[in-house]
Amino acid sequence: MNATALESQLIIGAILFALGVIGFLTRRNLILIMLSAELMLHGVSVNLTAFGKYHGNPQGQVFTIFVLTIAACEAGLALSLILTLYQRRKSLDVFLWGNLSEDDLPILSGDSPRSAMQPMTDPNANFPHLTPAGRAPLSPPRKT
Amino acid sequence: MNWSPENMQLLLPLCLGWLAVWSLLPREKPRGRILAGLTGVAAMLVLQATSLPPAGEIVRDAMFYVFAAVAVLCAGLMITDRNPLYAALWFALTTLAVCGLFLINSAPFLAAATIIVYAGAIVVTFLFVIMLAQQAGSADYDRQSCQPGIASLLSFVLLGILLFSLQEWGGINANTTDAARPGQFVSLPQGVQANILSQPPVSNPREIGSLRVLGRALFTDYLYSVELAGTVLLVATIGAIAIAPRRPQGHL
Repeated sequence: MNATALESQLIIGAILFALGVIGFLTRRNLILIMLSAELMLHGVSVNLTAFGKYHGNPQGQVFTIFVLTIAACEAGLALSLILTLYQRRKSLDVFLWGNLSEDDLPILSGDSPRSAMQPMTDPNANFPHLTPAGRAPLSPPRKT
Repeated sequence: MNWSPENMQLLLPLCLGWLAVWSLLPREKPRGRILAGLTGVAAMLVLQATSLPPAGEIVRDAMFYVFAAVAVLCAGLMITDRNPLYAALWFALTTLAVCGLFLINSAPFLAAATIIVYAGAIVVTFLFVIMLAQQAGSADYDRQSCQPGIASLLSFVLLGILLFSLQEWGGINANTTDAARPGQFVSLPQGVQANILSQPPVSNPREIGSLRVLGRALFTDYLYSVELAGTVLLVATIGAIAIAPRRPQGHL
């Protein structure tokens, strides 16, 4: 396989990575966000195996195996986190968790007003209080 | 960077691709599906005409084109589909096409492992969660994406930077690349001493992805990395069990 084939494989990897970035940034479903991250990993894996093939050594494939391992770990942890978040709000919308952001950042609530912050389904839910980190907030914490 | 016409050739497929993805992203207004499909296919064709290699080894190149086109198309459909179930299935198809690319790169074991891990485990578990969580059809947050214009524009700017840098290094225009001007990016460095631990180069290119070569590399050069990866898997398993909510059966 010649060098042009390597370059075309790098192009395919770059396209897959960019599409994964688009999905990661734009989709609001928590599961689709994770799947877009996996798509980015696919692009990286194509790059790694193409380089391994080009240089004639198994290092690229070894790295891809490690990428696979980390992807499996990430999927398991993300799935349990998504299940926990779904139990809190009964929805997979990532905008419902906009109040976890920094205080001075605007809350993204979507373009349509009906998709704004929904009331919590369980008002007596006992949220854990996180240890404050970083700089002191400028304003008192938001009540949601 | 010199702004030669060869560089400018990349702008057309990039703009066409951005238009296609942006017009397909979920939003309130009806989406121009036909326009998006036409522009997307046109972008891929233009990119293929400008940058992908000329037909050399016919069968291998044809397989590469098929797998690459399927991977890119299914990835685009995955990030633009309103229904998360269909998006997960498109992702499974993307995984299969990427495994085809692995096969072309002489990595059969990796292809099998990726199919088992991704299509067999990850996609199925995500599908279970989607089906348990969304029994009432597509939700509001799937029908409208978050700032589709600026996000897709920035991502295509990133893609353009990547492609431009590839062109700068290796000259992805196969017509203009000759042997007198090899790309620095894709040529082996001269005069660099090989790593002590590195394996001798495999003479037979079919041997690269074989289990023997792969296992030798894994358990000699990368032994500590393998141990670390196993530890990370164990820690992730324990963490997932600790984080996962406990509910009576039948509830999510």
